[in-house]
Order: sequence, then C-alpha cells, then structure tokens
Amino acid sequence: MTNAIPTSFDALPTTQRRFIGREVDRIEDRSLVTGHAPFIDNFTLPDMLHCAILRSPHPHARIVGIDTSRAEALPGVAAVLTGEDMQRWCNPTATAPEGWGPYSLAVGKARFVGEPVAAVAATSRYIAEDACELIDVEYELLPPVADATTALDLATPLLFEENGSNLIVGRNFVWGDVEGVFAAADRVFNAKFRWNRVGANPTETFGCVCQWDLIEDRLTCHGSYQTPSFMGLGRAHVLRLPANRINIVSHPQGGGFGGKGGPRGTDIASLLSRKSGGRPVKYIEDRVEYLLAGGGQSWDRYYEAWLAVRADGTVTGLRVQLLDDQGAGAEGYGTISVAKPLAAFTGCYRIEAAEYDVKVVCTNRAPSYPYRGYGPPPHNLVLESMMDLAARELGVDPAEFRRRNYIRPEQFPYTIPSGNEYDSGNYEATLDKALELAGYAELRAQQQRARAEGRLVGIGIASTIEPGVFDWNAYATVGVPGVGVPEGISIGINLLGEITARVGFNLQGQGQYTVVAQLLADWFGVEMGAVRVVYTDTDHAPPHFGQGGSRLGVSISGAALGACQRITVKLRRAASVLLQAPFEQVELMDGVLRVKDMPQAQIPLAQVVGAMLARSDLLPEGMQPDASATSVWTAPGRTAPDEMGRCKSYLTAANACHVVLVEVDADTGKTEILKYVIADDCGTRLNPSNVEGMIQGGVAQGVGAALLEQYVYTDEAQPLVSTFMDYLVPTINEVPMTQKAALVTPSPFAPLGAKGCGEGAIHTTPAVLIAAINDALSPLGVQVRETPASPHRVWSLIRSARGDRASV
Amino acid sequence: MAQLHRVRLTVNGREYEREVEPRMTLVDFLRHELGLTGTHVGCEHGVCGACTIIKNGQAVRACLMLAVQADGAELRTVEGLAGADGLHPVQQAFIEKHGLQCGFCTPGFLMSTVELLEGTTSPGEEQIREAIGGNICRCTGYQSILESVELAAQKMRAGQGS
Repeated sequence: MTNAIPTSFDALPTTQRRFIGREVDRIEDRSLVTGHAPFIDNFTLPDMLHCAILRSPHPHARIVGIDTSRAEALPGVAAVLTGEDMQRWCNPTATAPEGWGPYSLAVGKARFVGEPVAAVAATSRYIAEDACELIDVEYELLPPVADATTALDLATPLLFEENGSNLIVGRNFVWGDVEGVFAAADRVFNAKFRWNRVGANPTETFGCVCQWDLIEDRLTCHGSYQTPSFMGLGRAHVLRLPANRINIVSHPQGGGFGGKGGPRGTDIASLLSRKSGGRPVKYIEDRVEYLLAGGGQSWDRYYEAWLAVRADGTVTGLRVQLLDDQGAGAEGYGTISVAKPLAAFTGCYRIEAAEYDVKVVCTNRAPSYPYRGYGPPPHNLVLESMMDLAARELGVDPAEFRRRNYIRPEQFPYTIPSGNEYDSGNYEATLDKALELAGYAELRAQQQRARAEGRLVGIGIASTIEPGVFDWNAYATVGVPGVGVPEGISIGINLLGEITARVGFNLQGQGQYTVVAQLLADWFGVEMGAVRVVYTDTDHAPPHFGQGGSRLGVSISGAALGACQRITVKLRRAASVLLQAPFEQVELMDGVLRVKDMPQAQIPLAQVVGAMLARSDLLPEGMQPDASATSVWTAPGRTAPDEMGRCKSYLTAANACHVVLVEVDADTGKTEILKYVIADDCGTRLNPSNVEGMIQGGVAQGVGAALLEQYVYTDEAQPLVSTFMDYLVPTINEVPMTQKAALVTPSPFAPLGAKGCGEGAIHTTPAVLIAAINDALSPLGVQVRETPASPHRVWSLIRSARGDRASV
Repeated sequence: MAQLHRVRLTVNGREYEREVEPRMTLVDFLRHELGLTGTHVGCEHGVCGACTIIKNGQAVRACLMLAVQADGAELRTVEGLAGADGLHPVQQAFIEKHGLQCGFCTPGFLMSTVELLEGTTSPGEEQIREAIGGNICRCTGYQSILESVELAAQKMRAGQGS
C-alpha cells in the first residue's frame, strides 16, 4: 500500500503544529558550540599513520623517474606510494566522461600544478612531509595548455593524447525555432562575458582516515564525505573492490558546498594503508593543497550571448555560447555544471526559443569540481546582464522589462524550452515585494541626486530561478554515468515512545537533522527532545545520496513522511485491537491513537507501542511486534532526456528577486554595497531560520564571486593563488546585512510544498551586483563583463572611459 | 629528530607539561598532544581564525605560534567555556540566533567574542565587526553571527546584574 506523500502541513496528524514550519533551535548545535563534534581531524585510530602528498610543481610534465629510496629510509616512514602502484592496483576515476578521468596519483605525466605524484605514510604528519622532500622526481617539461581559448587550436599540446583532442564535450542544443525568432526580432542584443574560476573553500578542508583490512579484503573510510554512497561506488571502481566490502563512514563536515577532493585523498590513504600492512592512514588536506588542487574550483568560462527582442519588449529568443575550462580532465563531475543550466535556461521568462552551444575543454589548470549552484550562477549573470542590456537600449526600466516577460502565475506548471518543468511561482509578486522593501522609487531618486553630484551610484535588479531537488537525469546529457539519488530513512519507536531516526548523511550545516526532528515530533505528537536523529554508515544506512543539488531538506522530508505513514498503519492496526474498534475508524492525532468521533476512546502513542513490543498476547494475529519502518524517497515524474537534453529534471523551481544599491568609488574602483534586499519564494519553509541562513550564506558566497574571489593563473598555467591572502573569501566587512521577505507559493509536487533552497542566493547575488555596478557605470558608457568586478578591473574600465572621452 | 623542549602551560585552568619539537605549532600541540580538538585548523596561515584561542587574556591564532612560545602561558580554549551550570552565554546566544551552520569556524568566533565581551559590556556594531573581522565563516553570511554577538552581550550584561 502506498499513500501519497502530503504536499502541505494540513495532512499532518496534528491539530496544533508546534515544530515543523517554525523557528526552533537546531538539535545539531550543542556539539558544535562546545567543540565536541567529531570532525574528521578529531578522529584517531590506534597505530594510525599520517599521510603527506608530494605534488607536481609543473602544469604539464612527463614523469621520467621517481626515486623514493631516501624517503623510505627515513625513520618513521611506513610506506611510499607512486603512480606505479596505481597502474598495478587501480582504475582511473569513473566520475568523468570515459577517457577523461585520471588516476589518483599521476601516471606517466602530471597535468596540473598540485597534482599528486607520490605520497607517504609515516608516524606523524611532520615526518611524512619531511619524507616528501626526500623523494626525487625527474620531470621532462611539456608545453602547457594555459587557457580555454587556445585549448582547441591545432598546434596546442594534448592533455590526454589518446583522445586526439582537448575537447571533452561539444554539443549544440537547439530548443524551438531559434532561427525564426531571431529573424523576426526587432532588436538583437549581443555581449561577451568572462566568468573567472571561483571555488567552494569550506572552512574545513577534506580529510579521511582509511584502513584496508588485508585479511577480509575490506576497506573502511572515515571522512568528511558529502555523498557517502557515491564515494563507496567510486572507490569500488577505482580500487577494484566489491562495493559491499567498502564501508564509508561520513563525519560531520565543516562545510561542503560541492567538492572536497575526497576521491583522490581517499584512494591515496587507502592504498597507503594497504601498502603498510593494513594500518589506518589519516590524510588531512591543508589549505594550500585545497587552493592548489582541492575539490572546489568551478566555472572557468567564456560566454557570448544574443537576445532576440520584439519592439514591444517581449523577449523571444536566447542564444548562449559557452567555452568551459574543466582544467586537467573532468574527474570531479565538473561537466555536470555545464548541463545544469538546462533546468532553468531561460530563467523566469517566457522566452520561446533558445540555443546552447557548448564546448567543454581541458587545460593544465586544476580540475573543476562542483560548487554550490553547480553552473547556473554564471549562466544567470549572462541572462540577467542581457536583460539589462536590452532594457537599457530600449529605454525601459529593468524592473518593468522583467515584469513584461515573466512566466505568469496561471501558466504553471510551465515547461521551458530546454525541457524542465517549473512547478509553481508568482514572479511578479516576488518582484513587487522586493521593490517595495527596497523603496525602489526613492532609490532611483537617490541615484539621481548622487549622479548630479558626480557620484557613481547604481541599482541592480535580478530575478532568478533556483532549480531544486536534482535528479539523475540532470547530468545524463554530458557523458557522466547517471546514478540515482534516492534518500532513505529508518524510523523506529521504542516501548517508551521515544523515536530514533537513522539516516545516511552526516551534518554539513544545513540543519536537516533538525528538520527531521521537527517533522517527527509533530507527526507523533512528542517533544523534539524525544526524537534522536542518528547517522549510519554505508554498511547500515538505507539507500541515500546526502547533501547536494538543493534537495536534501525536501527529499529527507519525503522519506520521513513515507516512514511515518507506514508506522502509523502499524500503530492503527495494534490500536484497533486495543480499542476494539475497526481499523478504518482508528486514527493517529496529536500523539494519541483514537476512534473517530469517540473522544473518550483513545490511547497514547507510547502505550500502543509498548503493547506492541511488550505484550505479544495483545497483538492481532500475524502482526509483527515492530513500530518501525524504512522509507526511501525519490522525486516523482522524472523523465529521460531526449536528443536535445530535454527532460523533467529538477522537481522544484524556487524564485528570488534581489534589489541592491551600490556606489562605485571612481578613484579606486571599489564597490560599496549600500542596500541589499531580497524577496524569496521557495515554497513552504520547513524551518524559516534554516532557509534564511541558506539565503544569507549564499549572498556571502555571491559577493565573493562577484567582487573578490578568483583563482588566478599565469600564461604558463602556474597558479598564483595558494593562500587566503591571495584568494579573498569575504569577511563580515564585505558581506551586506540584508533585508529579507518571504513569499510562499507551495510546490504542488514536493513533500509539504517545500522547494529546494540550499544553494540559495548564489544564483542571484553575482548577477545583481554586476547589474548594479553596470547601472552605476552606465553614464560613462562602460560595462563590466568579467568577474570578479575587483577594484582594479572596475578602475581600469573607468579610466578607459575617461581616457576615451578625453581623447575625443 | 630535533631536540625536544619542555613546555609547561595552563589550559582552561589545568596544568600540562610535555616535551615537544620546537617546530610544533601551538594548535597542533593543543590538538595532538593535549587532545583538545575543539580548536580547529582552517588555513594554518593566520587568515581564517578557526584556531583562535585566548592566551594571557588576548585572542591569538594558535596556528601562528609555536608551542614552545607558549611556555608558561595561560590559555583558554572552547572546551573551557561551558561549565557545570551549562553553556556559556556566548554559546547559548549563538544557538538561539542560528549563528552557526557547519560549526567548524564557531570555536574561533566564540573565543573572539569572549575576548570582546570580557573587555566591553556594550559593544557597538563597529566594535563587533572589528572583533570578529578576522574570523572567516563560509556558511552564514555573518548576519546571524552579528546578532549572536549582540545577544551574547545582552546575556552577559544580565548575568553580571544578577
């Protein structure tokens, strides 16, 4: 029997909802504020060794020879690993399109600065690092591919010679009558963009402790793992073990936001354990390693875009050309971030035809990995900049220009040209809320006054979609093996009426354990303190995926609701015997099992479970003494992509509108954010504080991407960023304190009507900040088309504009 | 192996004595030698502030000091905040205002905040920004942290009054 998963709070068996949908303290926090949370570097095992990795100083070099003898002779060193061991024991990674995945240690040649070339396990990290300095590697330098724009030139060297080209994926997606709408357009606008590489940079880097059991041929990996079952499957392939002999134990993670470089580090630590007789090996990536070669670099892109617009301001067509630099291969699922924009390609707008011409290439920069948002943040910058360009050229206010083109509330569910279906929304209401909160008319007046004083003040408006609840089909178009993303939970009630929920993901910061506790407390009518949420490793967990793709809050709620429904059926069966009433007449409500329309005929939940587990004589014939259930949720109605990549991929479409006021200092090029307001509609909010935290955190990362952060490389593919002195993560003094308004258009398809919201404002913040800077610069006739809009970059533009004027 | 040096110091009121290599950082000493793993390591070059502790009354980066430099010092770490009566008001405030998400940077923020609020009971926003401007949080976007510090100040004022 399957019950439909409820899509609103009304279906919960409570007359007084106390927790879900309300602001509550998080159950995660006591261990975190006391420093007791078991982050991976706090974890040790007896006889544990420590790993250090020797990395390539060259972007592209053949490895002629490696001499490890001096390192092996150092007291305290237990094992040294090189590419030879990889060839003997391993397969290349399977997270890339076939042929584009490397080994976890360089084999034959190194393809980027920071690529692991050898590794040491020793009795301390200090000794392991000493030993790395004693490894002699002879390199033959090869000319590097430094930039995507030259990667496909015939004279350019190849990273993977056997593939005959540096082109990883080349695809041209055409949706609708693109030629027709562009031919019929009254105006066509065109611009080029450069989004420079940014990255996740969680405050905790990747770490793991791996132990290879040589007797049973099993592997146990403790680590800061975001998607444990994926890690297990990947290691099974790379390390040539059956997946059910690998136990992945995820520890609380100090942030994630995408990749943490887990695969390579885990493989290396695991093989060092194998090579050192099965002793556990800890590898903790340090920040320099993270910045050079870690798993969070993303979106190194060149764009050109065209927008077709009718004279009445209706946008009819969008063409986007993308040249995407994956770095040295596609090991980190990085190609998926090229495909994800298909889920919201035309944003909030009724654009009838679109084209996406994609070239994904490899260079000798570090490999690209997922980062929060996973592709749309740069795409949204392009789309929203094009909308602003058209509005400015047509002399229409950018808010009004968007309003004319929004998908209208009555059009949902709405299928966009690139195939995904948006579940619900009211974009005009979101816009109006943001304009009202910002005092838009007054902001424009303020801008006029400032301009009259010669100041560069600008207003930005951006409207975006956050695709939520990603699914396997979202990346079936870019050559990566598709794996499903189920999310499971096992819930049990003990004979005292206390509840334990077991899940397959550990803490990462979003507060999903609290959401589970809120939901179960309201469903069963208990206090949140009566609910424990427990992490289980891959040996024990139900099918799971974990954090990623703005889906876990929604999907774990779906799983929990399914398990609650099944347990409730069991409770009602037991209670129907205890209450001597027909099963159909017994219901769960406010923590009691009761007979409908007979208020006196009721038993508290705990008594029913107690009777089930302790008094077999009272149980109905054939009923097991079991008040537990496992339920696994996956999004309904997903479809396989067609030849143009069109499918129902992301289940939910959240919508936000940001309005900001900035001032650009004409002398320094520095941007100051004067006002920042957000109207956000992510459907039902399961925990409003969690949602606000996601939004504000996304603003901070968006500020970084728009104004500060960049992985800088030289013309020789040498990285110039290796510390937080070079890679500028925003502090409290760069991030605006925002005013936020919540709108609620529930999803008709998702559990409790909640939409994915975990990637939050990073979808919108870069676009709106660049829009505001461009509005400020518009009197000078220059526009920022490259991120980050650093002071130097903006100052150069201002200077060029003034120089041009002076020379006229 | 380099010559070992004796380090004698006090952490959270308890005395410790160990023999360590001169190159061992103070944060590694706390975490590996003393087992006090609440102080976290985020960058090891003094920018992120995750390893912030209080040394002789002053907030310092435990990754930028060597253990031997702390010989004779009086240190306080996150483990010393909560007591028999429960959480420190600063910890409580961070929970109530959702001043953390992943919690990895939190011990550093807490120690920076404790230093601030032990020096001034009613800090203005600028003082708060100054005090925690050297701590990086990648999750929260700082708004809830600012509110947490303001609430912590209130709680500590109320506590002093009672």
